[in-house]
Amino acid sequence: MVQKIKSFKFVLYWTCLFIFLFSSVPVNAKETSLRVAGSTTVLPIVSRAAEKFKIEHPDISVTVNAGGSGVGFSSVADNRVDIGMMSRKISEKEFKKYNNLEFKVHTLGRDGVACVVSSEIYSAGITTLSKKQIRDIYSGKIKNWKELGGPDKKIVVVDKERHRGTRHAFIHYVFGNPTARARGARLVSGSNNEEQAKIAQSDSAIGMLSQAWINKDVVGVALLHEGKKIEPSIENIQSGIYPISRDLDIVTQKSISSSAQLFIEFLLGPEVQPIIEKSGYVPIR
Amino acid sequence: MTRIQKEKLFSGTLAFLTLFACSILAFILFAVFSRGLSALSWEFISSEATDFGSKGGILYQIFGTLLLMFASISICLPIALGTALYQTEYLKSSVWKKAFKIFMASLNGMPTIVLGLAGYLFFGKFLGIGVSWLTGALILAAMILPTAHAAILEAIETLPEHYQETSISLGLKPNQRILAVVIPHSVYGIVTGALLGLARAGGETAAIMFTATAFSGVSIPQSITEPVATLQTHILVLAQEATNPTALANAWGAASVLLGIVFFLILGAKAVRSRLSWEPEQ
Amino acid sequence: MSRFAEFDFFQWATFVMALLSMTLGAGIVAYLFWEGGPFIWNQGSQFLLGLDWFPGEEYGAAPMIFGSTAVTILALVFSTPLALASAIYTSEFLDPRRRLTVKGIMEILAGVPGIVYGLLGVSLLSVWVRDVFNLIDGYTLLSASFLLAIMILPTIMTLSEDAIHSTPSEHRQAASGLGLSKMEVLFSVALPHATPGIAGAILLAIGRAMGETIAVMLVIGGLDRIPEPWFDVFSSGQSIASKLGREAAETLGFGEHWSALMALALILFFLVMFLTAFGNWLIKGFRK
Repeated sequence: MVQKIKSFKFVLYWTCLFIFLFSSVPVNAKETSLRVAGSTTVLPIVSRAAEKFKIEHPDISVTVNAGGSGVGFSSVADNRVDIGMMSRKISEKEFKKYNNLEFKVHTLGRDGVACVVSSEIYSAGITTLSKKQIRDIYSGKIKNWKELGGPDKKIVVVDKERHRGTRHAFIHYVFGNPTARARGARLVSGSNNEEQAKIAQSDSAIGMLSQAWINKDVVGVALLHEGKKIEPSIENIQSGIYPISRDLDIVTQKSISSSAQLFIEFLLGPEVQPIIEKSGYVPIR
Repeated sequence: MTRIQKEKLFSGTLAFLTLFACSILAFILFAVFSRGLSALSWEFISSEATDFGSKGGILYQIFGTLLLMFASISICLPIALGTALYQTEYLKSSVWKKAFKIFMASLNGMPTIVLGLAGYLFFGKFLGIGVSWLTGALILAAMILPTAHAAILEAIETLPEHYQETSISLGLKPNQRILAVVIPHSVYGIVTGALLGLARAGGETAAIMFTATAFSGVSIPQSITEPVATLQTHILVLAQEATNPTALANAWGAASVLLGIVFFLILGAKAVRSRLSWEPEQ
Repeated sequence: MSRFAEFDFFQWATFVMALLSMTLGAGIVAYLFWEGGPFIWNQGSQFLLGLDWFPGEEYGAAPMIFGSTAVTILALVFSTPLALASAIYTSEFLDPRRRLTVKGIMEILAGVPGIVYGLLGVSLLSVWVRDVFNLIDGYTLLSASFLLAIMILPTIMTLSEDAIHSTPSEHRQAASGLGLSKMEVLFSVALPHATPGIAGAILLAIGRAMGETIAVMLVIGGLDRIPEPWFDVFSSGQSIASKLGREAAETLGFGEHWSALMALALILFFLVMFLTAFGNWLIKGFRK
């Protein structure tokens, strides 16, 4: 008898645990958690905005994930997140894959994509590059900085994953096609942080980076565009002279929850504009 | 060269190589802790991460890792124990016994990233739990199932034959036998399996990075559909900022804590297992 | 007693648990086949031998298959001699207490999480590889295989040691009775006896190396290309697991791109399963 009671208790314990675990699976009635994912360029804005938002709306928690623009879009389309972050436009292919869905896009700010080199290369005299030179580097025709008047060092060409918004803008400018292949690439990186770290670790690298990520180790070169040297500076991006720029967007499905609506209004509102500026981008409002 | 000299040279070389192999662990410990301990402080452990992890602490990351570990072991353990008991106490057909072995082996050989992705599609998408700590815990439970199962199975199978014989001759039914003989005497195996499973779950990154975690804005989850932050994914993000010194210092700090947790569990499992083998036969 | 008393709750409960774990294993394998199988079938050699991976246009798996194979073989080359040497020394020359210590160290080494190796790889190893071999950067197939070599060392060492140690003592005594030295006993008796076990250990290690995602992903360079010339281990590459880790989030769930990734996963699974099964069979065959 004792054994029976013991076994009963044992079974009861685990059954309760499982019922407890699985009964709470349906979404909580007062669900107030918002999910955001996507571009690592937009991430600092949304992440910092979310911290501010939380002070005003303590009942809504906003979790932010990285991944890249492609991940931002597919997560929204797949209902994995409420809001996707994109540093490029939704592509034809992406629209086609989800042709039964409708999406809403809001623009937060603008950003320029800089062609960046390791600081050693910059200080050795490579301060300006033309579109053709960058193309030759990325297609593998130019392999040594010496050919461009720099030091005798092989070029570490850093590409980015293909769905990344930064790559779309940069490769579109360089090759005229946002998904062109870069045969000269030596490394492929993902997030802005990873790209920045790989270029900074090297003393002879070239890469593409949102201008907000430029620092003393990773220097943005000026572009020789239509006969003029154009620095990747905020002013040049704001005035539209700098040729590689893109909108920083958030994308949602057509119908969204009220808390998501609230957060988007907050993102587009006046309180977030200083965050955009502080993060190193161009506010548009 | 004489035979003895040759022998000495041989064993000397081997000794050197063995020492080298063992010193790898010392090197890893030194590399991680010498960099991590300077970042470690009570404040680091007890405050939340700010500025994308490059400042602040790892409070919620520790919480998330522990939550995933313990949730996954509580899901895994009854399944592992039940499977092992069914296999040893009820299953008669040798074909099915073989089939169980093959399926456990295929689960064990499954690369964790594949397990994570397939698990997300089933638990996250099909069952609708989404990217959440529960999805992660279920995936990790599947991942550590073979580990826990193997340890429990070994403990049950190595029970002295006469235990079973005695219980049968006493006329005990299978359920009585399980409760009176099998479980009490294989409890060390169960604990070992649980600890090893916990250690494996705590060290896993690939299976949970798309399925259970979020990068920022995470605190204690309020419902089972919310993601957590974990030490593993935190280190993953910070490792990619390999040139930012404060971020890197935090990554080493988080790695020290993670190593500490995992080693504690493995050493625990070793201690329990050595007690198992010393248990005097009655 | 009523019929209800005959009802064995334990039989029922353990059966459900057993069924659960069976379906779990079988379900995932079935899913891989269902999602990836048709893709491999339809694309055939274009997928298996294709050199370019460009989502939405073409899917060539050859660079990833090459990368996985290359880093695994290299890791074995670095790891096996060291692991076998320590296995032999531990089994043949150490007293029982020291033997347990060495095995304990290996067990702890086996528990170091992959992400910790990844962090060590990014911040230390890749820089060393670059400086030591005088390369332009350190994210190479070689760096990935160094990390893998350390990760599989405990697997090979522990299992081979078991195999060598389990040589029946009568055989040893017979051999030393013939006047053979320790080393000669080792080579003439213990090692031949342990060969299948050692082979099994190595195969299991291959399985582990191929499935490793995080550490490899962080140091391999992420370039979907077979190096030119192909044996240039100082160039970047991509392994199957690292490809999945980097790209899966982009298309999680369905579509052609997803099928292609699952087809990669299926190939990986087959490689790992085949090697693991073969390895287990060797170890078991030798225990009998």
